[in-house]
Amino acid sequence: MNPIPALRYHWNVHVLGPAVLRIQRWQAQRRPPRWDTRYLAPPLRIAPRTKELVARHWLAGRYADGYRKVAWVTSGAPVELLKALGFYVLYPENHGAICGTARVAVEIMSEAENAGYSRDLCSYARTDIGAALSGKTPVGRLPKPDLLFACTNICQTVLFWYRVLAEYFRVPLIVMDTPFVYGEEATEHAVRYVRRQLEEAVPVLERIAGKQLDERKLREVGLVSKRASELWLEILQRCRHRPAPISVFDQFIQMAPIVEMRGDPETVDFYAALLKEVDERIAKGIGAVKNEKKRLLWDNLPIWYRLRYLSEFLARHGVAVVVSTYTNAWGELAPLINPDDLWDSMARTYIYPILNRGTGHKLATMRRMVEEYGLDGAILHSDRSCKPYSIGQIDQRDRLIRELGVPALLLEADHNDERVFAEEQVANRLAAFLEMLGV
Amino acid sequence: MEPGPLPIPTRTATIRAWKERGGRIAAVLPIHYPRALLRAFGLLPVEVWGPPQVNAAYSAAHLQPYVCSIVGNALSFLHSGGLDVADVIVVPHACDSLQGLGSILLDFVRPRQPVFPFYIPRGRRESDLEFLADECRALYRGLAEVTGRSSSDDELMECIRREEEADALLAELHRRRPALPLSNRAFYHLVRAREYLPAETFTDLARAALDLPPADPDDGVPILLSGIVPEPMALLDSLSEMGATVVADDLACCGRRLYPPGTTDDPFRRMAERILNGPPDCTRGNSIAERLQHLIGMARRTGARGVVFYDVKFCEPELFDLPLLRKGLQEAGVPSVTIEVDLNEPLSHQALTRIEAFLEMVR
Ligand code: SF4
Ligand code: SF4
Repeated sequence: MNPIPALRYHWNVHVLGPAVLRIQRWQAQRRPPRWDTRYLAPPLRIAPRTKELVARHWLAGRYADGYRKVAWVTSGAPVELLKALGFYVLYPENHGAICGTARVAVEIMSEAENAGYSRDLCSYARTDIGAALSGKTPVGRLPKPDLLFACTNICQTVLFWYRVLAEYFRVPLIVMDTPFVYGEEATEHAVRYVRRQLEEAVPVLERIAGKQLDERKLREVGLVSKRASELWLEILQRCRHRPAPISVFDQFIQMAPIVEMRGDPETVDFYAALLKEVDERIAKGIGAVKNEKKRLLWDNLPIWYRLRYLSEFLARHGVAVVVSTYTNAWGELAPLINPDDLWDSMARTYIYPILNRGTGHKLATMRRMVEEYGLDGAILHSDRSCKPYSIGQIDQRDRLIRELGVPALLLEADHNDERVFAEEQVANRLAAFLEMLGV
Repeated sequence: MEPGPLPIPTRTATIRAWKERGGRIAAVLPIHYPRALLRAFGLLPVEVWGPPQVNAAYSAAHLQPYVCSIVGNALSFLHSGGLDVADVIVVPHACDSLQGLGSILLDFVRPRQPVFPFYIPRGRRESDLEFLADECRALYRGLAEVTGRSSSDDELMECIRREEEADALLAELHRRRPALPLSNRAFYHLVRAREYLPAETFTDLARAALDLPPADPDDGVPILLSGIVPEPMALLDSLSEMGATVVADDLACCGRRLYPPGTTDDPFRRMAERILNGPPDCTRGNSIAERLQHLIGMARRTGARGVVFYDVKFCEPELFDLPLLRKGLQEAGVPSVTIEVDLNEPLSHQALTRIEAFLEMVR
């Protein structure tokens, strides 16, 4: 084995990088908040640590080539298997979100569009393909994958997208196909199929990783993953409290570790600390939105490039968006993970994400949230380039209004492509909606 | 009966005749599904590819404008009473949009007919085959429940053999396409009758077509047609007028459904095996490389000078594959052009001009 990549990795990821990131955290802790604290609570104390944690993850990726095996995976992939085999796991969707918040997504996705990829395709996919083609990224450098792993439990789009990546990188692509759950329950043959694919993936993963899967290690990672998901869920559920200690805009930022570092022990520590801070806020009566008058639900992906705009716009009117079907997705399955029956429970966990379930199930989730969180309304982000999440929203909105008497707004935008964000139209629609809410 | 050299019964006449004989109708959405299984319950599968030119207002009450017109039109067609003749609706899974349609039909629209989603796996491993066979078994149970009928393995095998015979003739029609004395429009009229005719009627028709005296050598520019569905069918007339002959296709409704015969005696596995072994299709999990080889092979075999990718707007499965397919074809000396259509709009002048310019280039 060539010692250079290993030395480079250790020096940058374990020595130099952490020192630099610690200094950056220290500086961030002393910077005045960037958002409007007349209406919003001061930023979470943990925010600089989140940034540090996420930056460390991408730093490890930057130096992974030649030292660690790298897997590019979809957000719903069974990361426990990969972690247990020592892969560095990269989530192109998360990278897309980082590009979105950093407002560089359009520049990067244009690279894909110039290569012929239609503007009607998922803007995460375009951002990722653009990054792969051009090498452009705000995180320094993306490591090349040794393996691609696409799980269809969020959409079919990932299947088409990862096939493109497979052609570019010429590396193996594992597809884990999780049949869509139309009714209440997945059929037994669908669960059996997913379980079998998990088992079939192992020899391929072992071959690429160059080592055998250690069941004990897998169980350990499973436990850590379950614990992190439970903590995340607890944090989200604290928002039932009035005023809500954090908003969904905070959640969107704080969810990065549960997506990309699930299965890592530091993720558990991180969420334990976040939970503590959230509880402190509750004890002190601090709400994410000062003077919280109305509480809303957010459906669908965030509009990454306008988080601050939306958060401030709503907060100015005393509106707190306290719960979201999206952030909830990384917590709601925690009870299904059973480290004592890992294979079967993994099959069930990975077939049941909200995006792999029917439109009626999503409505039922929203109804439940309306009651449990005492909501006054809902914003359903109709996300132009995410069809699986958006189809069904028109009926869901109508039923929320008709059957629950909950005002609901369909807000047209896109999660990562700011060219389709019509600011004036959004502002007008939001203003009319807030008027309807009486704020 | 439609005009042309062959007596092709219309969709309406076929449905009426079938119903008069006490048969039932299954309205089936794209793309892959086991025809034989439906027939085993006396259900005639009648496929719904759009259809074009319907009032899109109803679908707008359920679907955002960025959903493809195949799915939007199917919903509008259902609402306008177009599917009233159907006794069941089958929604195979192919993409996020069809998945969404199946889901809102079940959860919100709730048509009077029972709706059966049908999941197609995305690989060709033993586990995919086993799953698809189980999915066929689940559909069998569902249909048995709503029709109150059952079907023995022998009866099922009989239905499968009938479909295999029809598919073999369909494949033969495609193979002998350049020698058939049929215009672009007449050929696709014939092969697309497979979307609603009972297999046995289609078999007779296909035999009659294959017995027609061979055509004079065609001096049209040979091209391949790829995409989802050649709608509006006026496209085919326009191609003829521009001097192009579609010598083979990779259309989801046609060439991607030339299923080979099955090999096993278990009827459910056999139906599954046939679907999984069909020609490469992005919605069924084939890689871009497989599709590319298939297209290049088809072009070499038929002497096609280029490919017209005729796609439905917002169709992700196609849009993701296109750049690499086009690049690979270009490298193999097969140029291509892409046209995007909305089934509710007539073929645009701009689209025709682009095709014409392309034909000029490859002529
Ligand atoms: S944004 Fe939507 S379409 Fe894109 S990868 Fe995520 S779930 Fe799939
Ligand atoms: S045209 Fe494309 S997106 Fe529409 S239903 Fe067919 S495969 Fe799906």
